[in-house]
Amino acid sequence: MSNKSMRQQFADTMLDIGQKDDQLVVLVGDISHFILQPFAKACPGRYYNIGICEPTIISMAAGLSKVKMHPVIHTIAPFLLERGFEQIKLDFCYQQLGGNIITVGSAFDYSNLGCTHHCYGDFALLKTLPRTQILYPSSTSEFDILFRQAYQNDFLTVYRLPSESHDFHFKPADIKLGKGIKIKEGNNLTIIVTGPHLKIAVAAEDSLKNSGWDTEIIYIHTIKPLDEEMVFNSIKKTKKVLVIEEHMQSGGLGDSVLRAIKDINDFQFESLAIPDMFVTGYGTYQDHCNTLGFTKDGIVSKITTSFNKES
Amino acid sequence: MNTRLRKKIVDMVVEGKDGHIPSAFSIVDIISILYKDFLNFDSKKPLWEDRDYFILSKGHGCLALYVVLKDHGFLTENDLKFFCKPEGILGEHPDCTKVPGAEASTGSLGHGLPFAVGIALGLKIQGKKNKIYVLVGDGECHEGTIWEAANVANNLQLGNLCVIVDWNGSAAQLMPRDDLPAKWKAFGWNASVTDGHTEKDLKSALNEITFKAEGSPSVILAKTVKGKGVPLIEGHGPWHHRIPNKEEYNIIMEALS
Repeated sequence: MSNKSMRQQFADTMLDIGQKDDQLVVLVGDISHFILQPFAKACPGRYYNIGICEPTIISMAAGLSKVKMHPVIHTIAPFLLERGFEQIKLDFCYQQLGGNIITVGSAFDYSNLGCTHHCYGDFALLKTLPRTQILYPSSTSEFDILFRQAYQNDFLTVYRLPSESHDFHFKPADIKLGKGIKIKEGNNLTIIVTGPHLKIAVAAEDSLKNSGWDTEIIYIHTIKPLDEEMVFNSIKKTKKVLVIEEHMQSGGLGDSVLRAIKDINDFQFESLAIPDMFVTGYGTYQDHCNTLGFTKDGIVSKITTSFNKES
Repeated sequence: MNTRLRKKIVDMVVEGKDGHIPSAFSIVDIISILYKDFLNFDSKKPLWEDRDYFILSKGHGCLALYVVLKDHGFLTENDLKFFCKPEGILGEHPDCTKVPGAEASTGSLGHGLPFAVGIALGLKIQGKKNKIYVLVGDGECHEGTIWEAANVANNLQLGNLCVIVDWNGSAAQLMPRDDLPAKWKAFGWNASVTDGHTEKDLKSALNEITFKAEGSPSVILAKTVKGKGVPLIEGHGPWHHRIPNKEEYNIIMEALS
């Protein structure tokens, strides 16, 4: 597995595509400026550090799209997605223009910076907008492959880049926009996980096996459009599902899963997500994960207290 | 002052039972002159690559745009007839996915200028010579994104961009301590002031704009009157979004005769 950071992969992917596609333009809000210098040098006139004015960066990017460029906007998640929400809604989605938003500061990645820099309602917000695609690539190769698949299409595609990756390597052919990845087949429990917590989900599966659980694990990198078929077929079989997501419990992947399985009888649903609260504590990213239960033990506990194997 | 287009606007509002007459009267002379004498376009190919761009950022003035687009063959008489009707394509704010010639779907203020800055930047990157005009309201200049975009446009030296401010005094109703020309100049723009209803003055101001690939952007502050041409509706009173009754309709049409 590569030790490269997600952000470095972003810069490398821009550099590679930018040298082949002269319609690619990168706009940043005073972040990642130095790692994007190879792109800036290789693609003169197509890199702009616009500064601290996120709504304007988004509108500008829509204008670039209007004249057939492929804009990429990059800065910290809440400033783009929450402050710039109306610009995304009207200038991109309503006007049917395609573009790309690459965020850092996923959920509580900026663990010590406080709630001003957190963003754990992004899936919910973006799902309300027609013509959006929401991707959460959590390994370098996933980002590279998914970006190449999506960046030229007519949707506004948001790529949520986490600071941690899940350390799994998938065959490139298995990484397809809108498709889940089945990590393991199982018969009496489905775990649907998105983001870097694939790692703890797989670790928990080992413990659960000892308790008699035969767990199916589905990894989701595309929140919208969701692979509803894979989700439906798995839960129809297992009748029990735990959805793990670093997102508010309301409006995220769990809600999309519920909508996808509404026609299944007698299923049991649980969610490991961020409750209806601000994450106001400080500490490392891992400290926040420990507090919120995003751990192997947290998953095992959630399953053993929520589900009965015999029911 | 174009009375023919004003009459058409009033008829559309009466027929459609909705619309912002005074806002449209404030800008219809500007838009009419732009399309007549300054914009390159092909109404048979609204998306022609070499066209100049006109972005109506104050979308609620769109009746003025619609009647001008009709004059130049983008729209038909039938399109105007169905303003604000279920079977029509024209609403109270322009939808660029429906209206040929409308470059942006505006309505929420403060979007058109930064959007146009992106268009100007894109065309500059591509080495194209298309001109970009944006019409914003003076009230719209309360929006922070106007000044974010003004700052960016100057720093990127978007000399292919010209803003026209419909300076009808709406902003001063609320925030009277506001020197708009000084503000734009402070942001590094080439700024001029003209009368927004007199053809000769408007043409003169527009002819002064030298569109260049590299250079400071330009702004024309057009002194206008909201509801211009009809004393009954002029100013900032209740007519902002009001439909004339039969008696008022006759008074308006008489004033425009």
